[in-house]
Order: sequence, then C-alpha cells, then structure tokens
Amino acid sequence: MDLTNLEAVIGLEVHIQLNTEAKAFAPESAKYTNIPNQHISPVSLALPGTLPVMNKMQIEKAIRLGLALDCEINQRNYFDRKNYFYADLPKGYQITQDSDPVCLGGKFTLENGKTIRLHHIHMEEDAGKSVHDISPDYSMLDYNRAGVPLLEMVTEPDFRNGDEVEEFINTLRRLVRYLDVSDGVMQEGSMRCDVNLSLREKGSDVLNTRCEIKNINSASNAKKAVEQEFKRQLKLLKKGEEIKQSTLDFNLKTQKLTVIRVKENAHDYRYFPEPDLPPIIISDDWIESVKSNMGRLPQSYFHQLTTEYDLSEYDATILIEYKDIADLTLSLIQESNIDPKSIANFIVNKYLPDVKTGTDDLLEYPLSQEGILEFLTLIESKKITVSSAYQNLLPHLLEQPHKTAKQVMEEMDLAQDFDLTALKSIILDILDQNPDELKKYQNGKKNLFGFFMGEIMKATKGKSNPKEAKKELMEILNTRNG
Amino acid sequence: MKDLTLEEIRHKVETGELTFVQVAEYYLAQIDAHADLNVYIEVWQEDCLAQAKALDAKLAAGQSLGALAGAFISVKDVICVAGRSVTGGSKILQSYKSPFDATAIERIKEADGILIGRTNCDEFAMGSDNRNSYYGPVKNMIGQDKVPGGSSGGSAVSVQIDSCLVALGSDTGGSVRQPAALTGVIGLKPTYGRISRYGLLAYASSFDQIGLIGHNASDILAVLNVAKNTCANDGTVSEMSNNPVDLEEVGEKLKLGIMASAFEHESINEEIKEKSLEFIEGQLAVNHDISPASFDYLDYVIPTYYILTSAEASANLSRYDGIRYGYRAENSESLDELYCNSRTEGFGPEVKRRIITGTYVLSSGYHDAYYKKAQKARRFLVNTFEALMEEYDAIIAPITPKLPWGIEEEISTVDLYLSDIFSVLPNIIGYPAISIPIGHSKEGYPIGIQIITKSWNENKLLKLAKEFSLEHQL
Repeated sequence: MDLTNLEAVIGLEVHIQLNTEAKAFAPESAKYTNIPNQHISPVSLALPGTLPVMNKMQIEKAIRLGLALDCEINQRNYFDRKNYFYADLPKGYQITQDSDPVCLGGKFTLENGKTIRLHHIHMEEDAGKSVHDISPDYSMLDYNRAGVPLLEMVTEPDFRNGDEVEEFINTLRRLVRYLDVSDGVMQEGSMRCDVNLSLREKGSDVLNTRCEIKNINSASNAKKAVEQEFKRQLKLLKKGEEIKQSTLDFNLKTQKLTVIRVKENAHDYRYFPEPDLPPIIISDDWIESVKSNMGRLPQSYFHQLTTEYDLSEYDATILIEYKDIADLTLSLIQESNIDPKSIANFIVNKYLPDVKTGTDDLLEYPLSQEGILEFLTLIESKKITVSSAYQNLLPHLLEQPHKTAKQVMEEMDLAQDFDLTALKSIILDILDQNPDELKKYQNGKKNLFGFFMGEIMKATKGKSNPKEAKKELMEILNTRNG
Repeated sequence: MKDLTLEEIRHKVETGELTFVQVAEYYLAQIDAHADLNVYIEVWQEDCLAQAKALDAKLAAGQSLGALAGAFISVKDVICVAGRSVTGGSKILQSYKSPFDATAIERIKEADGILIGRTNCDEFAMGSDNRNSYYGPVKNMIGQDKVPGGSSGGSAVSVQIDSCLVALGSDTGGSVRQPAALTGVIGLKPTYGRISRYGLLAYASSFDQIGLIGHNASDILAVLNVAKNTCANDGTVSEMSNNPVDLEEVGEKLKLGIMASAFEHESINEEIKEKSLEFIEGQLAVNHDISPASFDYLDYVIPTYYILTSAEASANLSRYDGIRYGYRAENSESLDELYCNSRTEGFGPEVKRRIITGTYVLSSGYHDAYYKKAQKARRFLVNTFEALMEEYDAIIAPITPKLPWGIEEEISTVDLYLSDIFSVLPNIIGYPAISIPIGHSKEGYPIGIQIITKSWNENKLLKLAKEFSLEHQL
C-alpha cells in the first residue's frame, strides 16, 4: 500500500430512537426520563406470561423515513428474535428484523452532490441501561429505555472523511425531526451511531479490515472519531503492523479513542422468527397515505427562504433546523409587510437563543406570533429605534407579555418622537455647548464625531433614530466647516 | 357433582336444592380426600368459599349472575392469577407472584367463575407424564402407581377426582388431551389463537394454547365461550376467535376420516387399537359417514415438533435469569456465573435438555439442517393436512399409543417423546382437537380417542364429544 496516498472507507450504523408515545411492543410511555424505572410494565420487564404487542406507529414512522430517503418499502414484515444474555435485556432476546428489514436500499445526497447509498433500515427495540458507577457493590438496572422503538439505518461504505459523516448525521437528525420520526436529541441518546472505518489506496476498490467505533452521540464527535481513527490506523500501517478487526470507544470526556477489544468473537445470536408477533403487511394504500401526509422537507423551506425571500444561506440554514421554527418564520413573513431580513434577524438572534431547542418546548416563548409581529411592526414603522427596541423594550415586553408592544413602549416612554426640526435644534445646542470639541473636530480630530453622537443620544434619551441623527450631524458639521 | 353439568348445578342452586357454598365445600372436600395424589400445589380455600358465599348473597338479592356462576375452576401452574404464585412447576420461580391476571382468568372472574386452586404440572409444561415437576409427580386416581399423563397431569386429575367443574391446562403438543385420555375425562385444545395466551407462561409460542378439561362437553363449551376472543395483550389471537362456538350449527351427519396410518402404527397399544376400532365401527359409523383418511407423514411429526418447540423454548425461557425475579444463585462472581448458577440450580433436567436442544438447532452451522428444515416440514404438514381436511368434517385418530405407565417405570427420553406421535399434529398445524373417553382397558385404565378438525370448528368437536364420550364410567 502506498501510505502517502490513502483514503478512508467509512460506513455508518445509525440508531434512531422513535418518538412514539408508547413503546414498540408495550403500552407504557417511550419518553425519556431521568428517573430510573419510571416507564416500565410487566411486558417490558419480561414477566412470565407477557407477550409483545405491535405498536403500529413504529411502522408508520419507518415507512415515512424510508420514503423520504428513496428506500424500497418491504411490504411483508417479520420480526426476529436475537438471542443473547445481558442484564439490561429483560427477555434474553431482542426483537429485531434480521432477514426482512422494513426499508431496502435508499440514498442520501450530500451538499457537494455526492450520493451516500443506504443498505437498509430495520426496526428493533432498545435495551435498558446498566449503571455501574452508583454503588461499589451492585450494578444498577434502569429499564426505562427497554423496549423503546428504534430504527437502525445501515449505510454502504460511501463516506471518505469526517466532514461527510458530520454533514450526514446533522442532516439526518434534521430530517427525522421534520418527519416527526424522532426527537433527534443526541445527548439523550435518541440518535447514536457506530462508525466503521478502513483504509485503502485512493482509487482502489478493495475493502480492507475495518474497525468499529461504538455509540457515538454527536455529529462533531463522529467527525473527531473518524479523524483520530484514520490517524491511528495510518500510524499502525507506518509501523508495518497490520490492522486487526477491533472495537473502539470514543470517550466523551477525554475526546479520545480507546480500543476495547480486538477481533470480536463472532457472536451467534441464533436468530429465528418471533412467533409472538404476526407478520405485518404494509398495503399500497398505507404507503400512499404516508406519502401524502409527509409534509414539507427541509430543502423545500431552504429553497423558499433563500430565493423567494432572499435570506442568506447562513440564516436559512439556522431557520430550517427545526420545522416549527421554519414554519414560524414563514408565517411571520407571510402575515406582515415586515422586511423578511428583520424577521430572520429577530428569530436567529433573539428568539432562538431564548427558547429551549431540541425538546417539545421548542415554541415556549412569552410572545405569541401576534406579539412578535406587533413588536417588529413598531421598528418597521420607525416608531422606535432598532437599538432601543431590542435593548430597552424587548426585555420588559418579555416580562409582561400580556401587554402589547405599543403599551410597553409608551409606558416606558421609548417612542421615537423627535422630528427633524427638533433634532436639528438639539444638535445645534450641543455644538454650541461644546465649542472646544467643535474646534478640535474642525481642526481634523474626526473621531470626535462619536463624542457628538453620544451627546445627541444622551439628550434624546435614545429615542432618536441614530441613522437620522448621524446624517443630520454630518450635514451641520459640513456646513459649519464651510 | 361430576354427574351434574354447570347448567344443572345452577338449576339446583336457583331452586334452593344446593348453595354455591355447598358446591365449594364439596369440591374442597374432594381435594382433601385425594391429597395423596399431589394434584394441587396451592388450594385457595378461603377465597373460594368467600366468593361462593358472595354469589349466594347475590342470588338471594335477586341480582343477575355471570355465565360461569357455579363453575369452580382449577388453574394449571403455568397460568397467571393476580396476587398468586405461579411457578411453572419449577424451582426457578419459587418466589414469584404474578401482578396480573391472564386474560382467560380475568374473563372467567368477570363471568363469576371461581378459581379453586393451582395444579401441579410438568416443569414449564415440558413432559408427557407429570414426572418433571419440582413438586413431585402427580398420581393417577385409577392406580396410584400410574402416571396421569402430562404435562397438565394435575389439571386432568383435578377433574378426575371431581374437585372442580373444569380445569384450565395448556396444550403445546397434547398436554391437555393426553392426560385427559389417561384419566378418563374430556380434554379440548382449541384452535391456535382462540384463547389469548397473555398470562400463560410460554413454552413454545407458536404451539401453545390454553386447553380445557372437564367431565362434560357443555361445561367446556361454557368456559370456552367466556375465555375466547381477541385480546389487546396478545396479537396472535385471531379475529375469528370472536365467532361464538355454537353446537347448533353442526349438522347431524358428519363426514369423518379415520386416520388409518395412526391406528395401524407400530407403536400403538393393542388394547387401545381394539377399543378404538370397536368405537369407530360400533358407534361413530352408526350416525356418521366414515371412511379411511390417508396421512402418510406421521413419522415426521415428532422431529418437527421437538426441533421447533425446543428452539422456541430456548428463547422463551431466557427470561428466567435470576436478575429481575425468581431464583437467584448465591455467591456468583460475575454476571455470566450468576446466569449459569441460577439456571443450573433453578431448572430441572428435562427443561435443560430442551433449552440445550433448542440452542443447538438454532446455532450457526446447524440452523439450516435442523431449524429451517423443521420449519419447512411444518409448512409441508400444514399444507398436506389442510388438503386432507378439505374432504372431511373431522379426522379421528388415537391420542396416545400408551396406557398409563408406572410412575417408577424407566422410559427413555426418546421413547417418551415418541409417545406424543398422535397428539402433536394439531399443534403443528394450529387445528383444534379433543380427546374423549371411549372405554377402558382390561385392567380398567381409561382409553380415549382424538378428534381433529379445521380451525374455528370447535363446535364439531364438542358436539361429537357430547354425543359419544362415555363419561362417568370409571
């Protein structure tokens, strides 16, 4: 191998936790909670005599994601039992799809136009959690997650670097939120991925021994892990060593890779069809109805915001991260005559930093849509200066959202109420009161312009429009010069 | 009491000739009198009497009674009753109490049925003679040195000793029908998916079905009609299960196929064969059309059955791991050791044998040769038998090739498995089947015969049982 001309060959296995109300095969809530063993039932604890019962929403969501990614939908679905013993796996087997996954093939296009092929997407249930660091004597078990529905997406080894991996995960996370398939909150584990990486000479089509990095919980960590693993394998090759099939862990705290085990014993999971669940037939009608209820996808919003409303790609990218935000932005633009850029500016700089992102409370903002429009209209119609609106009015308005923006503005006496004549006379007064500064300015100390501006703002208590004030000041100074 | 059907008991209670409490006391006395047979693991005497008393009060107050008022029912130790122990006849579940009712139990309670106690059985319903129980063997009332059959041996004998109206058992490969035959009572395995399996400890999920044992077809019918129907907790119960089981719908003259290959099988006991043919010629043929039905694949059913049920069992029993409930071995150094010790100490030899067999037939390298092949064989048997059934209303076959054998008698595992040859077929196919008593051997041991029919045709089975079973001739 020519070690100066290597490329990484990377494939992903992404676990997407579905945001269904109930678990995959049990009635209790599938929601995340940090109180251990809150969401459990006889079924998810595998008590004797219990049986799994299909939650059809997981299939609906699988179809939705499959259609959005151009997969072929498998219309006759079986589940299989994957047998292994672990303390957080209550039944001693996981219900999964081994031989007939719900989605086959599919593809995903990166921004640079490159296509990532998908191998398949299958349904399965999550396991619970073993916690080893609470007690020195016991391992603790939390079964909240046991039985939460998952989709596992397996890609072909089409990635070549960490940037592609990062982009894929970020875009996928946004997509699953748009489709209402998953919360996509990686910190809570609702998306996790395993990265498989091997090296080869550029242009070659061999697949060399790969190593697997398990359970990565963010796109940026995936990128870092890929970059570190590339270096690690390269270093081994340079030393003349061969790459052995290994499993690695990416430590969140140290941000370092460590090899957990080399050459995994081929596990024998003894798959066989799950006899407790009848086959699920996905009819053409079902697929059609999912298709027609799919809703808009992120790219469609992006296109509209950047072309129709002329927003920057930077702003548009932020605005489409969450579907609710994209919808809100469009609604604000369409229901007012306010400059779309001002609206984007408000959402990006004020609204988003204030709201919790990534949870159900996405839209928990004190102001209603009308409230936001009132506020922005005051600025748009020059009733208040931009800086005063944001610095003085908005904080108070947010504390008393039952009042209108205009009420608060008036109570605080923030209205921009200086007409041009008044402004002119104030400027003239200020120049008269500061003859020394004026002289220095006229003698070339041009930075005193800022001093005069400050005095004007002080005198008008911030209620003058700085742009106008600046323009007037400049004109007056120029005439005095003459 | 066994001479009376539920309807007759109800009539006597309603006319003041009997009270529900007296019925309960009678049954409880029977349990006491036959304590040496090791039938009941637990008798719910107090609750049983209190509920009978409450029913008497309800009747006195003129309130309407549920369909099963007056039906006292024993429950095999594989069916969950809320607040009660359920152990599957195993050491591994000694400390376990179920927090919920099985669907069948819930419905029986709602219909005013009264549960009298929990009956002994083979461990996790694996066995053909009730010798695989942690609680020791159940004895046949006919001869205490004889087995009652299994795995629902306790259920069958609970009916045999007249300690309940109907017994709830489970039938994965004959576990209700075979002990019914060996104890001289009626045993019904309904269609797969007729009665919810929720609350039935799983042995082999695609074969298991709650079965009913009783003296009278009409009592079995009454309980079946209460216990059946779709269930939110079991997706394998068919919509078809909601159809009522109505004996009136069955014609007078049925077309019955006699499975000649079974009656001529080398393993069948001569007396059973003789009695069966006597019954067919002398009784069945009088009112029905009988003709030989050709089925040449009997020798495939045992391997198919044991490979597939062991495979399913190996996964179904993985949950008994000592982690969340049940027996946990002490002094284990690691998780693997904890599993290994708990399961080694908690399970009996037959259960271990089937777990190991099941693990083997599913393991890579053997999966295709055993599991896959057995699945194909199952498919083949289903297709073949379905085609055969096109021509008949029901098929008549033996239920077991053997008369009750000795509790101390040594029988090889393979021979014991082979004795299930006639009873596993309906479970492989999912069809309902019934065992009805037709007479006795020279030494006085009961002999039964099996009737198999298409799915959802239990009415035909019960109609024939009503017509022919020689009840109460013990």
